[in-house]
Amino acid sequence: MLEIDKVSVIYDSSQLFANLSLTIQHQEIVALTGPSGSGKTTLLRCIAGLESISTGSIRLNGQDITSQPAHFRQIGMVFQDNQLFPHLNVAQNIEYSLKIKRVSKKIADQKVREVLSLVGLHHLIDRTVINLSGGEAKRVAVARALIAEPQVLLLDEPLTGLDADLHGRMLEDLNKLLRTRGTTVLHVTHDKAEAAAFADRVIDLRQLIS
Amino acid sequence: MTTIYSRSRAISWLAIAPIIFIFAFVVAPVLNIFFSSIRPESLKLLRAEAIRNVVWFTTWQSLVSTALALTVALPLAFVTANFKFKAQHLTTSLISLPFILPSIVVGVAFLQILPNNFHRTAFALILAHVYFNFGFASRLIGARWLQIHPHLDDAARTLGASPLKLFTTLTLPLLSKAITNAALIVFTLCFTSYGVVRVLGGPTRSTLETEIYFRAMQLGDVSGAMLLSALQIVIIAVLFVVTTKATSKNSEQSTRPTITRQMRPQTRKQKIVITTIISSATAFAIVPVLAVAFKSITTDSRFTTTTWRAVLSSPEITQSIAKTFVYAVIAMGLATILGLLSASSVAYSNNKLRFISGLSTLPIVISAVSIGLGLIITFDTQPFDWRGSQFMLPLAHALVALPIAMRIISPVLQAIPDSLRQASSVLGASPRQTWLNIDFKIIRRAAISAAAISATVSIGEFGASSFLARRGAETLPVMISRLLSRPGDSLQSQAFALSTLLVMFSLAIIFVVDSFAKDKFTRDSHA
Repeated sequence: MLEIDKVSVIYDSSQLFANLSLTIQHQEIVALTGPSGSGKTTLLRCIAGLESISTGSIRLNGQDITSQPAHFRQIGMVFQDNQLFPHLNVAQNIEYSLKIKRVSKKIADQKVREVLSLVGLHHLIDRTVINLSGGEAKRVAVARALIAEPQVLLLDEPLTGLDADLHGRMLEDLNKLLRTRGTTVLHVTHDKAEAAAFADRVIDLRQLIS
Repeated sequence: MTTIYSRSRAISWLAIAPIIFIFAFVVAPVLNIFFSSIRPESLKLLRAEAIRNVVWFTTWQSLVSTALALTVALPLAFVTANFKFKAQHLTTSLISLPFILPSIVVGVAFLQILPNNFHRTAFALILAHVYFNFGFASRLIGARWLQIHPHLDDAARTLGASPLKLFTTLTLPLLSKAITNAALIVFTLCFTSYGVVRVLGGPTRSTLETEIYFRAMQLGDVSGAMLLSALQIVIIAVLFVVTTKATSKNSEQSTRPTITRQMRPQTRKQKIVITTIISSATAFAIVPVLAVAFKSITTDSRFTTTTWRAVLSSPEITQSIAKTFVYAVIAMGLATILGLLSASSVAYSNNKLRFISGLSTLPIVISAVSIGLGLIITFDTQPFDWRGSQFMLPLAHALVALPIAMRIISPVLQAIPDSLRQASSVLGASPRQTWLNIDFKIIRRAAISAAAISATVSIGEFGASSFLARRGAETLPVMISRLLSRPGDSLQSQAFALSTLLVMFSLAIIFVVDSFAKDKFTRDSHA
C-alpha cells in the first residue's frame, strides 16, 4: 500500500501543491488526471524519490520512504519519453535492473525472455533501441520497469504520442499485463477517457489537495 | 546533405582553391619528406639508442600527460555539465584560457612558477601539458555530458542504480566516445608539443618534435630530421585511424535533452565540492599567467616599467610585434576563406566532395614542425625557392589554422535546414541571393569566430615559425625563444613582457569568440 500524507512541494518560494494526500491499495490501479502544470508529473517524481518534498510523508507498505534515495525505494517508473538507454540494446535495457542487483546471467536471460514475450517483443531482443517504433519503445520501457518487480509502478503519460490505433491496442495490452501480474499502479494522464478505461479509480489531482 | 545548390556545377569550383592549397603546401612537402627520408643510411638512425630514447620519452610523457589531464578534466566536466553556479561564464572562459595560450607562453609561465631544480625535468613538461589541455578536455567531455538527458539518470535510479552504479553503467558508457576523442586529441597535442618542450625540456628532455628541429637547424642533419618527421607522421596517422575506427564502432546515439541537466547545488556537500573543484581549476588556469605578467613588471621584487619601456623602445622587438600582426591578418584571411570554401564544398556537394573534410584535417596529423620542415625542403630550388620569402610564414600559419577554421564553420553550415533555402527560392530569390541572405547571414558569426581563432593560432604559432622565420622578420614566439636563450635578467624579463602581450591578445580573442558563440540561429534551432 502506498500512502501519501499531506505532501507539499515548493519551488523557489512558489508552491506547486500543498497538503496532498492519497492512498493506493495493494494491486490497485489508480489514474490521476489534472490540467497541464498542476503537478502530476512532479508528484510521480516525488513518489519515485527523484525530487524532494517540502513537507509531508510518503509510506510504502507502512515504511516511511520519504527520505530514501530513489534506488532503494523499489518504485518503478515509465517515463513519458521512455528514456531507454541509447548505448544498450533491447535485452540489455530490460536486464539493466537485474545486472544492478547482480542476478546471475542465466536467470537474467530467462527473465528477459519471459518479460519480452509478455510485451510481445521477443523478436526484437537484439535490436538497438533507436531503431524501435514508438509503440515498441514504449513496450520495452514497460518491460524494463516490470522486470525489476517494483512494489508500485508509476506511469507518466505512457501512451502520449502514439497514434489512435496503437493507443487503443497499447492501452488494452498494458491493462491486461498489469492486472495479470497484480501490479500496483499510479497512472498519470490528461486523457480522461484513457483514465476511465484503464483504472479502478480515477482521481483529479485538485481533489487531493485539502 | 542534398541542398538546392547540389546540382550546380559551381560547387565543384569551390573546392579547387583548398585542394590546390593543401596539395601544394601539405601533401607535396609530406611526400617529399617521405621519399627523401627512405634511404638505408637514414634508416640506421632509427636503431640508434638516442633516437629510441627520444621516441620512448615522447610516448610515455604523452601517455602520462593525457591520463593526468583527463583525471583533472573529468570532475571539472561533471561540475560544469551538472550544476549552475555563480560567475559560470567567466570561470569556464578562464578555465579554457590555457588551451588558447601560445605553447611557448605556457613554457615560459612554468619556467617562472617552478623552482629551478624542476626546470628541464619530465615533471615540468607533464605539468605544463596537463595545464595546456585540461580545460579543453573538460569542455569536450562536459559538452557531451550536457547532452545526456537527465531523465536517463532518473530511469536508472528508479531501476535501482546507486550514484556509483549510475556513473559506471550509464554516464561513463555514454561519455566514452567523448573521453576517447579527448584522449586522442590531448595525446596528439602532447606527442607533437613543441613550444613547451623547447622552453622547459631543453636539450636533455627532447621529444620527437624538438629533435626534428635540433637535427635540421642545429646539427644540419636534414635527412635525419626528415626521417623522424616521417616516423612521427606515421605514428599520429595510425593513432587517428585506430581511434576513429574504435569510436565509430561505439555508435553513440545522440540524445537531445529538452530540459537541462544543470541545477543549482542543493546540499552543503554539493556546494563544497563545486567550490573546491571550480576554484582549484580557475586558480590552476590563471596563476601561471599572472606569474608571467608579474615577472614582466618586477625587477628584484620591485615594481618597475623598465622592461616594458625596453620592449617598446627596441626597434628589433617592435618590428617583430608589427610582423606578427601583419602575418596574423594574412593567415586569418587565408584560413577563413579556405575554411569557408572547404566547408561549403563539403556541405553543398551531396557528399561527393566529402574527402575535402579529411584533406583539411591533414595539418593536424602533420605537426607544425613537420609542416615547416616540409616547406623549406620542398620550396628550395628556383623558380620555387621561397625559403626567404615573407609569405611563407603566414602561409604556414594558415595551414595550421585551416582545420580549426573549417571545423568551426562546417557544423553551422551543415545545420542549416535546406527548407530555409527552398523557402527563399519559392519567394523568388536566385541561388546567389539565397546564399547571401540565408547561408551567409547564418554562418557569418561562425566565420568571424574562425577568423579570430585563426589569428590567435598565427600569433602564437612557434613550430613552423622556428624553421621559416628569418632574422629581422621573427614572429613574437620566435623572438621570445631568442630572448630566453640569451643571458641576462633584463632580456629574460623582456621575454616575459612579450609573453604577457600574447596572453592579452589571447584573452581578448576568448571574449570575442565567446560573445559570438551565442549565435542567434544556433540558439533558436536548439530551442
